Amino acid sequence: MSGTIKDTTGGTIDDTAHGVTGQGRGSGAGAGGRQRSARPDRAAWGFLLPFVALFLFTFVLPIGYAIYESLLKPIRSGPLGLGAAHIGFAGLSNYTLALKQQDFLDSFGRVLLFAVVQIPVMLLLSTVLALVLDTLSSRWASFLRAAYFLPYGVPGVIASILWGFLYVPGVSPILDLLGRVGLHPDFLGYNSVLWSVANVVIWEFAGYNMLVIIAQLKAIPQELYEAARIDGANAWQTALRVKLPLARPALVLTGVFSIIGTLQLFAEPLVLKPLTSTITTSYTPNLSAYNEAFANNNIYLAAAESVILALVASVLSFGFLSLVNRKGRSER
Amino acid sequence: METSRPTRRSLLRWGTGAAAALTAAPALTACGQAVGASRTTKQAPTRPGHKVKLVFWTWVPMQKTVDLWNRTHPDIQVDLQIIPANVLGGYQKMYSALTAGDAPDLAQVEYYELPAFMLVNGLTDLSAYGADALRGSYVPWQWNQGVFGGRVYTVPQASGPMGLFYRADLFAEWGIDVPTTWAEFEQAARVVRARGDGARLCAFAPTQPAWFAAMCWQHGARWVRTEGDTWIIDMNDDLSHEVADFWAKLIRDDLVIVEPDMSSAWYAQLQTGRIVAWVGPQWGDALLRGNAPNTSGKWRVAPLPQWKAGENASANWGGSSTAILQGSRHPREALQFAHWVNTDRQAIDLNVAAGYGWPAAADAFRGSALDKPDPFFGGQRYNDVFAASDRAVDTSWKWSPTSDADFGHLQNDFGAAVAGQGGLVSSLADAQKRAVQDLLAKGLKARSAR
Amino acid sequence: MSVSAPGIDESVAGSTATPRAVGRGRAGASHRGITPSRILLVAFLTIAALYFLLPVYWLVVASTKSTGKLFGSFGLWFSDPHWLHNLSQVFSYDGGIFWKWTFNSILYAGVGGALATLLAGVAGFALAVYRFRGREAVFKAVLAGVLLPSTALALPMYLLFSKMGLANTQWAVLIPSMVSPFGVYLCRIYAEAAVPVEVLEAARVDGAGEWRIFSTVVLRMMTPALVTVFLFQFVGIWNNYFLPLVMLSDDTKYPITLGLTTWQSAADRHPELYQLTVGGAFVSILPLAAAMLVLQRYWRSGLTQGSVKG
Repeated sequence: MSGTIKDTTGGTIDDTAHGVTGQGRGSGAGAGGRQRSARPDRAAWGFLLPFVALFLFTFVLPIGYAIYESLLKPIRSGPLGLGAAHIGFAGLSNYTLALKQQDFLDSFGRVLLFAVVQIPVMLLLSTVLALVLDTLSSRWASFLRAAYFLPYGVPGVIASILWGFLYVPGVSPILDLLGRVGLHPDFLGYNSVLWSVANVVIWEFAGYNMLVIIAQLKAIPQELYEAARIDGANAWQTALRVKLPLARPALVLTGVFSIIGTLQLFAEPLVLKPLTSTITTSYTPNLSAYNEAFANNNIYLAAAESVILALVASVLSFGFLSLVNRKGRSER
Repeated sequence: METSRPTRRSLLRWGTGAAAALTAAPALTACGQAVGASRTTKQAPTRPGHKVKLVFWTWVPMQKTVDLWNRTHPDIQVDLQIIPANVLGGYQKMYSALTAGDAPDLAQVEYYELPAFMLVNGLTDLSAYGADALRGSYVPWQWNQGVFGGRVYTVPQASGPMGLFYRADLFAEWGIDVPTTWAEFEQAARVVRARGDGARLCAFAPTQPAWFAAMCWQHGARWVRTEGDTWIIDMNDDLSHEVADFWAKLIRDDLVIVEPDMSSAWYAQLQTGRIVAWVGPQWGDALLRGNAPNTSGKWRVAPLPQWKAGENASANWGGSSTAILQGSRHPREALQFAHWVNTDRQAIDLNVAAGYGWPAAADAFRGSALDKPDPFFGGQRYNDVFAASDRAVDTSWKWSPTSDADFGHLQNDFGAAVAGQGGLVSSLADAQKRAVQDLLAKGLKARSAR
Repeated sequence: MSVSAPGIDESVAGSTATPRAVGRGRAGASHRGITPSRILLVAFLTIAALYFLLPVYWLVVASTKSTGKLFGSFGLWFSDPHWLHNLSQVFSYDGGIFWKWTFNSILYAGVGGALATLLAGVAGFALAVYRFRGREAVFKAVLAGVLLPSTALALPMYLLFSKMGLANTQWAVLIPSMVSPFGVYLCRIYAEAAVPVEVLEAARVDGAGEWRIFSTVVLRMMTPALVTVFLFQFVGIWNNYFLPLVMLSDDTKYPITLGLTTWQSAADRHPELYQLTVGGAFVSILPLAAAMLVLQRYWRSGLTQGSVKG
């Protein structure tokens, strides 16, 4: 997962997706900006140029190139096709091929199932931890906050290596202990391994999301709490009726980033793969594309799969945003 | 190897690449573009007093062999780099480096993967550098693994004739005779289950399709053949079905442990006597020695069980070559090293100690480090078993240029099968269908045998 | 549940510490007592802490063990520890390649993060204060960049970079690390709220050029946002795996994440690598874990400031 979020933006990503782009909310700056000094366009583009150039180079150009590659295929000749080959136009055949591969389609189903379960569980955990810690006034709060947040600093692959050791029978102390009380769960089984992957992801990001929510809560004007207290609400009621609704922007934001993160699922299953026969070479869309490109050497098919993945990811994250925004608006 | 910083040339390429990407969309006929490796092999002139540096990628710990070479060949220095084994990341790295144009000079490539490397123009045509003259130094069938269209593309390194590793102490304790047929093997498995206090005869690894291929190979199946320019895939045949049925029965009756082999869990079970046998290749000796040191002296090796009593069919698992990858600037020196590392007596002894496999050099066995009683195997001259096994391997087995993907499909299907989703037999049918699709997707001609 | 949680119910209202709940009727009544809900709460918090800390604790223990003990002793307790020996192995193996990986990680995350922050700060500022043609388009593109999974881009980027001869160079990891659409997004929001127009106008009246205004006045005002962006970007790059995996094949250019997985996947033939993987994992999370703890306060205050002003 690349960078992520915080309270302030929570509110705004929300708003901008409505199309309120231009003015945003910094109305002061907006109003003032309209009467600024001479040649603002030049200054603005001067400021933007380095970023825009790199953005074109690392976002727009690769996508364009991937689309181009996805329309090609090798045409072979020579004995058994092992001789010289050249590249020809393939039309959309790589796309039809990708969409005909059951494994590739299954991988989308798998990450969607993963998202539907893992994201709510993680956000619920993060929210509860945030609400509880937010009410905790002892120095324990800061210790616990740090403890919960710590895994965010552990790279995904290393987290997976760690949990891998904790999943393997004969090596895992957790299984040792459970075995002593007669329990023999199979963390790496056909039906359970997806949730073992989910556990690694929750472990990595729950504390981080908690911190985002706490930051949002701290930003809520304190008068609201005072008002609730005067109305006679107790701590639980305040949490549920006042804080939770106000934490919504943070939840929307962590939700969006969790969706994006889920579609990128790669490192965790890749690292756990050697431990179990139940993680396949096309377990997630990303693994599938990686495998096509580097193990099967079919970069044209891999390009098509990448384009499909990018498309699905954009549709989902934009879709989620407009859904919560519409809902948010009708509630207001 | 060249440095990583963008050189002027790479910057130029960068420029043209960007331009190509930008202008490509309208002109979709990309003819003339080459497939695969972006740099081709060219011999750089040798300058006297100038050391040649070669980079060698392998997953066998051959540092001592390379040290010996570097001591005795001061002008050609080899830099050994350990990479992840084969499909666990090694080949991915090689393909990626070939595409990027900075592949190592030398790399370990298994026989089954060679056709795939041919497909991306990843190997140097060694006939151009006089490799044909070396033919006589190698076992013929292994040499032929690297010959395509009459040209030599790689130097064979080692193979993996198979046998049965077993715990002699526990077999004696439980009154088990060493099985000579697969029927006896099944009986032995039942005895171990009954008397072994939680132990099982061996593991079945759904993650090891190359092993399963070897089992079918022994039984006489031929998964790949060619007719004219067409690849014909024949995994879903009766003989392979029999093999699949056999192991499916062992799994169903809980006679084997289903888990990935060569994993930490598997090693732990070898070490603790939960697993007491392994249908494995000759190069497995080093794995046992290294990962189950507590069991030293208790292992023995027997010939592979047979489908019919009295037969002598064998199989091969693994087998690697030392390839000179496309793009090398020192193919002559690289070939010199590749030949030395696989035929020099001292080098072979050091390689054997590192567990590189069964030497591909002709007549390398007698008098080598392999030809000795071994304390880990209770003083048995266990390599006599593998020498006989090697002679009995039917060498007409062929690999397709998509072996990696075929193995991937089998592994996925086996994984589902052992979890109760489908069976081993139906996995073969599915994998065959997909194998044909993969070949077609690569622009090759292919069909199913049945 | 209508029972309040005595003692923890706190008036976020006030700033810090003072024990609350006193004199708040129902809640105050049971303040010092041990109630079931309080026990439940403490149990929950403890279990959560165990969950988050257990793997890290296991790692600390495992990093002291030999390969044999790693597989042959109880995982949650020490057995024949020889920690320094293990750590020196990690740093000396294969000609000290772990040092190189550490250096590379710091290079990619440090330099990439710093440049990304700078570019994002400049671009975010421009988007916030100027009204110019193309502003909408740029901003929408940035938003799309935020929402597009970065790994979906890694493969296309690899195809492009290898065409240009950039694959398997340090640039291949560094260049994409310098772009942070999210950072731009954040900086724009922050600049809109935190950079008063009057200040800009005043500076202009004094005859300062736009660049000068930015570097002398605005940069300082935007510091909290910039620090946050840097931290996000640093952690993101440090933890990244897919991009270096596809881009790099030469292990002297690897970051730590890629190096450790290489060790791990070679470990079946080289059992000593299991121990090195564990030891290396331990070493590699130390700096970031320390930074997490020390900077935690800073992250939060950075976030809160922004929102208060916004």
